[in-house]
Amino acid sequence: MISQLRQAGTLIGLVLIVVFFTVQLPETFLTARNLINVSQQISMLAVVAFAMTVVMVMTDFDLSVGSMASLAGIVAAVLFTADQPVWLAVVAALAVGVLGGVVNGVLVAVLGILPFVATLGTLTIYSGAAFWISDGKTIFGRDIPKGFSEFARGGVSLDAVGFAGVSLPYMTILALVVLAVVWVTLEHTTYGRRLYAIGGNAEAARLAGVRVRWLRLSAFAITGLGAAVAGLMYASRVASANPTQGAGLMLDAIAAVFLGMTMGKEGEPRALATLVGVLILGILDNGLTQMKVDSYVREMLVGTIVIAAVATSSIGRRA
Amino acid sequence: MAEPLEFSAMTKRYGAATVLSDVSLRLSPGRVHALMGENGAGKSTLIKLLAGVVPADSMLVRQGARTLPLRSAADAHAAGFRVIHQELNIVPQLSVAENILLGQPIPQRFGLLVHWAELARRARAALAELGVSHMDVRRQAGGLGTGDRMLVKIAAALVQDAGQTACLYVLDEPTAALNGAEAEKLFAVIGRLKQQGAAILYVSHRMAEVMDICDDVTVLRNGRHILTTEIAQTSRDQIIHAMTGRDVADAYPPRRTPLGDAVVCAAEGVSTARLTGLTFTLRQGEILGVAGLAGAGQGDVLSLFLGSVRPTAGKAVLSGGVLPTSPAQAWARGVAHVPQERRSEGLMMRMGVRANALLPHLTGVIARKGPERRRVADLSAAVNLKAAGPEQSLWQLSGGNQQKVMFARAMAGQPKLLLLGEPTRGIDVGARFEIYKLIRALADGGCGVLLSSTDLPELLGLCDRILVLQAGRQATILSPDGMAPADLLGALQAAPLALETT
Amino acid sequence: MKRLMLPLALAGFATAAPMALAETVAVITPFLAQPGTQAYVQAFQEDAATRGWEVNVIDTAGDMAAVISRIEDAVTQKVDAIVVNVDPAQVQAGLQTAADAGIPVIGMDAGADPLIVTNITSNGYAMAAETSVYVANRIEGKGKVVMFVFDAFPPVQIRGVVADAIFANFPDIEVLDRITPDVQDGGIADSRAKMEAVLAANPEPGSIAAVWAAWDQPALGALQAIEAAGRTGEGIVIVGMDANPQARDAIAQGGNFEASMAQDFVGIGKAAAEATARAMAKEEIKSKVTYVPTVLVTKANAAP
Repeated sequence: MISQLRQAGTLIGLVLIVVFFTVQLPETFLTARNLINVSQQISMLAVVAFAMTVVMVMTDFDLSVGSMASLAGIVAAVLFTADQPVWLAVVAALAVGVLGGVVNGVLVAVLGILPFVATLGTLTIYSGAAFWISDGKTIFGRDIPKGFSEFARGGVSLDAVGFAGVSLPYMTILALVVLAVVWVTLEHTTYGRRLYAIGGNAEAARLAGVRVRWLRLSAFAITGLGAAVAGLMYASRVASANPTQGAGLMLDAIAAVFLGMTMGKEGEPRALATLVGVLILGILDNGLTQMKVDSYVREMLVGTIVIAAVATSSIGRRA
Repeated sequence: MAEPLEFSAMTKRYGAATVLSDVSLRLSPGRVHALMGENGAGKSTLIKLLAGVVPADSMLVRQGARTLPLRSAADAHAAGFRVIHQELNIVPQLSVAENILLGQPIPQRFGLLVHWAELARRARAALAELGVSHMDVRRQAGGLGTGDRMLVKIAAALVQDAGQTACLYVLDEPTAALNGAEAEKLFAVIGRLKQQGAAILYVSHRMAEVMDICDDVTVLRNGRHILTTEIAQTSRDQIIHAMTGRDVADAYPPRRTPLGDAVVCAAEGVSTARLTGLTFTLRQGEILGVAGLAGAGQGDVLSLFLGSVRPTAGKAVLSGGVLPTSPAQAWARGVAHVPQERRSEGLMMRMGVRANALLPHLTGVIARKGPERRRVADLSAAVNLKAAGPEQSLWQLSGGNQQKVMFARAMAGQPKLLLLGEPTRGIDVGARFEIYKLIRALADGGCGVLLSSTDLPELLGLCDRILVLQAGRQATILSPDGMAPADLLGALQAAPLALETT
Repeated sequence: MKRLMLPLALAGFATAAPMALAETVAVITPFLAQPGTQAYVQAFQEDAATRGWEVNVIDTAGDMAAVISRIEDAVTQKVDAIVVNVDPAQVQAGLQTAADAGIPVIGMDAGADPLIVTNITSNGYAMAAETSVYVANRIEGKGKVVMFVFDAFPPVQIRGVVADAIFANFPDIEVLDRITPDVQDGGIADSRAKMEAVLAANPEPGSIAAVWAAWDQPALGALQAIEAAGRTGEGIVIVGMDANPQARDAIAQGGNFEASMAQDFVGIGKAAAEATARAMAKEEIKSKVTYVPTVLVTKANAAP
């Protein structure tokens, strides 16, 4: 009973936040347009957080996702400036993400370096690489092809389902696709089940025939790919690439996964629970901006909420 | 001498479940009182009540005419109760001396620096009081073997008593992880505590040592008090009957089918980093015991066929082929494994029965919950698992049921070779019999079994042959027919004796 | 129980519903931590207060995508005007949303863009030209110059370009190094470290004639390095830009740090408020860029 309440607590928190903003902002908050906006605003964070969930299932970490996102955006933009086609730039950026993830995976799974240390190191390396490739410049303007930046502004019209003039952004759709892929992978494949087993007890999993090394490596590669996708989304959204632009995603992503973990039966991360975490962070940003709450107060509030949620859940767990 | 401690009306409920119901206990100074019962009988709960870490729904504690309050760990400590828990929570990074004096004011020089020499002196004094002198108190405690860790914990409990006397020591499964020599040291220590006039509550599954060192016994079953008597007035069979509610009938189920001819696995002159001269053949349906004192190299015999240790010399085969090179390969080739350290090497404690039992047997890409649940239901029935369902987390199960999950995992793949490490360690009598039946059933079905154990009666009762290791070397292979545990112990020790305390 | 605390806590921040009559203006910036931004945002707020507007200042702490998100939120909230100080190319999506909703966006030290009504700023090219020429004149057209630049940020990048051109035009001036400091710590500490390395590599007195910094923090860092190395007597000329209080202080003391350019931040803020008022009144503003004059700060006029 207590445990169910604890598990539902974060979800209840989300509902209360939504109710609160709906009451405070009756005109503007609970409108199709605003919710669509929110979905687009959080899409990049969501993709990074879903990708982060994959490694956190194994109780690992990837601190390099932010700089990996920046690097992927820069790689695509540099290829744009060299007049390469959009598809090639995108594929190259995604490949860089996978490669970066594989490097993390080798450091953690093969060399046995603690994920915190290994990815802290690669965070710096990827960030340096992004600066180096771009000469530290922001690449923007005519260098970024329309076809690429239009993606973040386009969407599928919802006229047909009764929301005239509203369209579901491609960014949102992409985030939902990533969610679906991560959810199926973690919950419904033997691969995901093995990742959870590694998180449960890596040594026991190894002795029970799980190829721990290979799985950890590949999970880091998946996280790298996700970070690259988010980096491209970010670059498309701001129609430019800057070597530091993804940096803020990492801590928010970890916070979102932690918020989600409060909903796990045994405190384990789950894809859908991460979505709840992302929604809480995104809706707070949107609603508090509309309520004109000072942005610094907003930051303190978000941090407090993350701690409160995790603390509540750990108190509930002990009881 | 102090007066006896009387605990009465001890009751504890968790939600709807009553785990301890109106239990009374009388502990006299200078006597060792055994507390016995199957897992789930309420022993752990009773200890928690005594330690003050869990509030009782009702409990009365009297010492002579005095009523003692017992609502917190501080109360328990003030009353002179010292509980040495089953989990040995030492701090591996700190030295032995620091562990012993943990929680005490640290001796200092100039009010600033740690006075290491003084710290070591006090620690050595505490160990000397227990008659222990073999430990270097300056080394890191993480390097200690289980037996020495236990001694460190007891020494730490003694140190706390400077200035005030403890009237009760509670020892929870103290010998579960000790080898014979280590256990002997512990018994000597218990003898001293007894002489000093303390009452001792001794919780153990090991019938032999209870009969040996205890003066009284109390048996619990399903949270109720069943029996209290002097050891001298009772028998092993009577205690087991009280614990299980049934007679000791065929503790070790006999073989029902003859050995097969096919060889499951074999070794010839095999060496590993910790083992030399391993030579044996295991036939279908055979149970081969692997015996030795702690650190004699038993682990490597199993690890060899699990693919987690590579041979450095010699030739070994698994069902006609080469050795597996990883546990993944081993499971795929019909090897099943029940590790010695259930918690650290076997189970994912925060995951459910289904995830734990089926982990090595996941196939294909998509994991399908429905068929998996049905499969786990069948397996649970086969091992007689008592769990709330396929998703119940392992930490919520008793030790015996956790081990049954390990057996469900092992049986699920219909193994050709079963590797067992201490399959009944820390498991109560009732569950133990069930596990013996499972092992026998697997062997009867043609599975070869390598059984590594320090429980000598278990080896003698189950095995067709016993491979004896002495300090990393294969000494002999014995037939258990007509052997007594003492004979087997003699065989284990008959080496040019280097008693390792690992 | 604890969950219930949250809305209660939030309620504390809830202001009364916006007054129906007052115009609402959202000021959205990722750079509020910087002194210049603070100055013109404050000037804007003061001017807005006299006009009776309700101003909501939002800082996204360096996050460019969040600027777009907050513009969208402001549009949802139906503000009357939005003021931004970011490169418009990076927030096109947000500007388009505002344009679709018919809400004017005014640039405050941002950049020119068709979707921005007008951009109020200082002439960065002119400022860089002034300090570069100051350096060239002080060292009489010859010697080695160390440059501190930051090409990742377009408004600073253009300063570097102008300085490059001017120094290249003096045959006897050699650019010894073109350093991009790490700005995560504010720029002073890393610039100092970089300058110490340059000093160590050029130990001859007089081997470095001047330090040209594209903004004040590296100039201050370089000054600290020169002082620490005991080489203040070599007459190394340091110039910065933006004339922040710390820089004014250093210039006023008459040491190596000789000159900086003062942007009129207050003027930018006021001019932005004026442009905002005109935009809300649907007045047409022809020029996409409005320059506010700048002043060379030397010892003579450094007192704040």
